[in-house]
Amino acid sequence: MPIRVRRIALILLAATGFGLAWNSFSGRGVALGRNAYVREGDEEIKAAEAKALLDKGTLFLDARPVAFYEMSHIPGALPLPEDDFDKAFARIEPRLRSSLDIVVYCSGFGCEASHLVARKLKERGIPAVVLSEGWPAWTEAGYPTKEGAQP
Amino acid sequence: MRWLRHPAVYWVVSIGLGAVFIYASLDKIAHPLDFARIVYRYRLAGPSAALGVVPANAFAVILPWLEAVIGVLLVTGLWRREAAAITAALLVMFLVAVGYVMVQGIDVEHCGCFTVGGEGRSAGWTLIASDLGLLAAALYVLLVPPRTVASVSAAEPLPAA
Repeated sequence: MPIRVRRIALILLAATGFGLAWNSFSGRGVALGRNAYVREGDEEIKAAEAKALLDKGTLFLDARPVAFYEMSHIPGALPLPEDDFDKAFARIEPRLRSSLDIVVYCSGFGCEASHLVARKLKERGIPAVVLSEGWPAWTEAGYPTKEGAQP
Repeated sequence: MRWLRHPAVYWVVSIGLGAVFIYASLDKIAHPLDFARIVYRYRLAGPSAALGVVPANAFAVILPWLEAVIGVLLVTGLWRREAAAITAALLVMFLVAVGYVMVQGIDVEHCGCFTVGGEGRSAGWTLIASDLGLLAAALYVLLVPPRTVASVSAAEPLPAA
């Protein structure tokens, strides 16, 4: 019996229908237009806002692994890598506690580290916002970057 | 290899393959957000500046249901060869995805194959091997129709009128 293309199309259509219906009505759905790394309570800002904050002296934190930080980072940012959070946090805790505003960033869309770091900071009573779309948004806007291990 | 064309073998492989896909769909259907985060890690459907976030989310919402639907079809035998064709295509897609992250050195600790939480298999050679096994089963269901009275008589030349 030959394969019927129409049946294949119907199967794909049915799966799409079930998927979208379940997503809308199950109460467990994903907001299709929202990054799944972003949770209720996370605060995000755009690159332009972040640049204005940087110019005002806001503290920036780089949540990527340190190797990325050393390659290039936002000038003045301190490394607070998500994969080594506790150690890095202990080192800069006084500085974090004395900062009014904090912006956390990581490698952008596919990166969850900045959200995780911001939440960990919040758990410790330190409010922090996330730079939406992170490093790529910053560099594509043409904002300054700095190489090396120094902030 | 005549046994390969035995209807019972065909049924067992087909039902087994369908059961694997139904099982694979359940945890993802229950936890779409966690599955979306796994899809992101593959970096194939985005999110990215060019694609935004919708393709990856839509993929995470629809794929588990596609697995469930083809699973049910394979188990029940309804539209079985069409379901097997989609199954084979999905397995090839999974192979490409796993191969891609391995070549790129992207760390996908949790493949999102059967579960989305806790410990999962990482994208690696054992995953490729089991994927190839499932692909063989899907191609078998697709390409090796079992012997039936109908197929035997169809294979014989029609008697001259």
